Amino acid sequence: MNGLRRWLRPEQLRELSLLALIIVALLIFGMQIENFLSARTFNRIAASVAIIGVVAVGQTLVVLTRNIDLSVGAIVGFTAYFMGMQLHANPSMPPLLALLLACAVGGLMGLVNGLLVAYGRIPAIITTLGTLAIYRMLLVNYADARTVTTDMVPAWVPGLAQANLFTLGDFGLRPMVALALAVVLLFQLVLVYTQFGRRLYAVGSNPEAARFAGLPARRTVLLAFVLCGALAGLAGFMFLSRFGNITVVAGQGMELQSVAAVVVGGVNTFGGSGTVVGALLGAVLIDLLGQGLIRWLGISEFWRDAILGLLILLAVASDALILTWLRRFWTPKETRLGRPSESVGPTRERRHGL
Amino acid sequence: MITSYELRVTSYELSVPSIVNPPALPALPFVKLTNREAEGSLSKGQSSIAMHSSQPQPTLLLRGITKRFGSTQALDGVGLAMYPGEIHALLGENGAGKSTLIKIITGVHQPDTGEILLDSRPIRIGSTLEAQAHGIAAIYQEPMMYPDLNVAENIFITHAGRGPLVNWRRVYREAESILDQLDVQLDVRQPARGLTVAAQQTVEIARAISLRVRVLIMDEPTAALSAHEVEQLFSLARRLREQGVAILFISHRMEEVFSIADRVTVFRDGRLISSAPRAEVTPEGAIRDMAGRTVEQLFPRSNTVQEETLVQVRELSKAGVFADVHFEVRKGEVLGFAGLVGARRTDVGLALFGVEPADSGEILLDGVARHVRSPNQAMALGIAYVSEDRRALGLSLPMAISANITLPTLRRYLSALGLVRGQAEAAEAEHYRQRLAIRAPSVAVEVGKLSGGNQQKVMLSKWLNTKPRLLILDEPTRGIDVGAKAEVHQMIDDLAAQGMAIILISSDLPEVLAMSDRVLVMREGRQVGLFSRAEATQERILAAAMGQAGGETVA
Repeated sequence: MNGLRRWLRPEQLRELSLLALIIVALLIFGMQIENFLSARTFNRIAASVAIIGVVAVGQTLVVLTRNIDLSVGAIVGFTAYFMGMQLHANPSMPPLLALLLACAVGGLMGLVNGLLVAYGRIPAIITTLGTLAIYRMLLVNYADARTVTTDMVPAWVPGLAQANLFTLGDFGLRPMVALALAVVLLFQLVLVYTQFGRRLYAVGSNPEAARFAGLPARRTVLLAFVLCGALAGLAGFMFLSRFGNITVVAGQGMELQSVAAVVVGGVNTFGGSGTVVGALLGAVLIDLLGQGLIRWLGISEFWRDAILGLLILLAVASDALILTWLRRFWTPKETRLGRPSESVGPTRERRHGL
Repeated sequence: MITSYELRVTSYELSVPSIVNPPALPALPFVKLTNREAEGSLSKGQSSIAMHSSQPQPTLLLRGITKRFGSTQALDGVGLAMYPGEIHALLGENGAGKSTLIKIITGVHQPDTGEILLDSRPIRIGSTLEAQAHGIAAIYQEPMMYPDLNVAENIFITHAGRGPLVNWRRVYREAESILDQLDVQLDVRQPARGLTVAAQQTVEIARAISLRVRVLIMDEPTAALSAHEVEQLFSLARRLREQGVAILFISHRMEEVFSIADRVTVFRDGRLISSAPRAEVTPEGAIRDMAGRTVEQLFPRSNTVQEETLVQVRELSKAGVFADVHFEVRKGEVLGFAGLVGARRTDVGLALFGVEPADSGEILLDGVARHVRSPNQAMALGIAYVSEDRRALGLSLPMAISANITLPTLRRYLSALGLVRGQAEAAEAEHYRQRLAIRAPSVAVEVGKLSGGNQQKVMLSKWLNTKPRLLILDEPTRGIDVGAKAEVHQMIDDLAAQGMAIILISSDLPEVLAMSDRVLVMREGRQVGLFSRAEATQERILAAAMGQAGGETVA
């Protein structure tokens, strides 16, 4: 038991409990819905989580610094459309270059957000609410009432979403899903093992302490926004690959889905704690519940959104309650020295409420 | 002096506005004074002060008040009597218990034992709202204003229970009438943002009057005021005294206390030391009462001062904050920074560390002039600053002990690929955990879970790990228990013995005296004394800190 305690920290328990919830949901849906546990369901969930997961990774970076990016949906839509048009005009573009171009376009939009937030001192929620509308308007202007369709792009683009890298029985690993997993893995490592990752946590959990430690707080926030934009750009490309048909409303609502995944995934909205793996699991749980409930109860999408809302509220409440309780359980009595100092949480939350 | 004040008859009339007339409040004694017009001018003997000299009955009487916070005995059986029409000055060093007493009177804290009597009837003050209902109000050095509301709204903001609708015409009229009574020119429609501190305090006083104040606490109200504004504030205070308000006045400026107070009370270490009419008190006597602190076993400092001077600071100034600070620190020397709260010692520390750089002056390290404009530069020069505010400025509570310790120096723990070498990091943190006896099961524990003393040690580890040559410690033992405090003192001695130059900013006077080789005293942004270890006594330092006498001697 002690060995287990040493190995697992309450923070990781968040991810484990999400995993447990996912398994429970799978079991319930599997028993209730015919053919639920099938390759088809898996592929469907994997395909949609791959996109929102990549966006959620970027969102995690931003939320860790006590900010938020509401413009990701518009960035996804813009890059999806932009890349569709570029590939249409220039079908011989190498796939790698296309991916990089998508990231660059998104990164540029993220740069604008980051500059306004970090150096313009405009609250992130206001900045990105503004750029959300502006980027969408850019798309509408650029599209000029035209639509990208599947037959306009080279065949390898939709292929990315349909081909299998390898198969195991009925289950196949799509390149897009592999890409998403790689992104999650990469950024999890960045958070744990790099100076930049450490700075994200430091800036988010105590900006003043970060300043006293001589950390470049603004640059860190800027970089978080740039990366978030770049990942949204990548997700835009994946969106194009999956759907093929891109209209001006592409990616709408993704900002809220990504925030939901991040919050359900245990990233503290007041910065300083959380992981991208958690955000991915959050995205999986949300999508699984959505798919399952639609098929099981035949509920409408609005119901699904309401359940999503409920999940977010539950996640936030459990942050405060369950984690405190778990920590108490996890800290052996003999090491509970003195009175743990009062958490800075509540006051901070009051000051920085969304 | 108040011997020859004249009554500007109409202005003393306290026509309590109808808007501030909740039926629950009892009639107030000073309302009797409204008909002074008919009596013409009064001599002093006939005023409300006469009432109390003939039959002294305190408005507010505190008896045997005790308050304990954790291991700190903030108040130990103190009593205080506040009479109508009397300005009662309360003196005491930092931590003497003044603030706690104010908080008890205003209902922020409840006393552990003791009783509070208002007009000889015992009352319980459960909240600031209840204090207001009893006619108790307080104004502070930093006025509590709603910057976006206008003056009139600020005056009446705390009034509750007068129906759902606001009669704006009446609000403005009555705000104006209160300000008229105070003989103050202020536009009641002007937003509070942008008012001077003095004007904001006036608004607070007007707010207190609108609540029919009987007991007014003025907590260091003059600290941010110019001399002229202080005079205006005092004339307001005297005017309220005329009207029979009992005033408790707290200030660190002796000359103010002795120019306005009718009675002077001194607190020390949560106890009442003396209380006497002003005429029977001298500034010297008051300082003696404040300082006569029993010093429990002094920490035995070894003499570690080396010949070599590490830091020289010349005429360091920052506009509106501090000016002409000049000192030097040798290797192995502990230079104490003494002064009362607001003396700007921390600001000098922040300037040396580059967080809030100074405007002018020189900082020399090893005789070479250096510009310190950012914490990064300071760290590169071997300067470290351990902040007094662990939670807000020092530590990232959700992060592990090891991550906190390596935060400013993470570069050292990166591998060739730029990845953090977790083992090297943990090993370093483990080294400090053992060296400073940080009580935690492992260095992976979140700092937020540690006790205050252990958090303090993590802070120290973090900055010691930058390998500083000059260590600035700002209140390193505030709020930590006796055992941890002794450990911190031991550590300071060890570090000095290793040749580190240390600046110790502390409001704990015995600590400064015990730990320092020399003591620099600041007062309101000015350096007012520099004492060698032999010369430094509590009385001398306090006298300098309160502006009574200076001493400039260099050891």
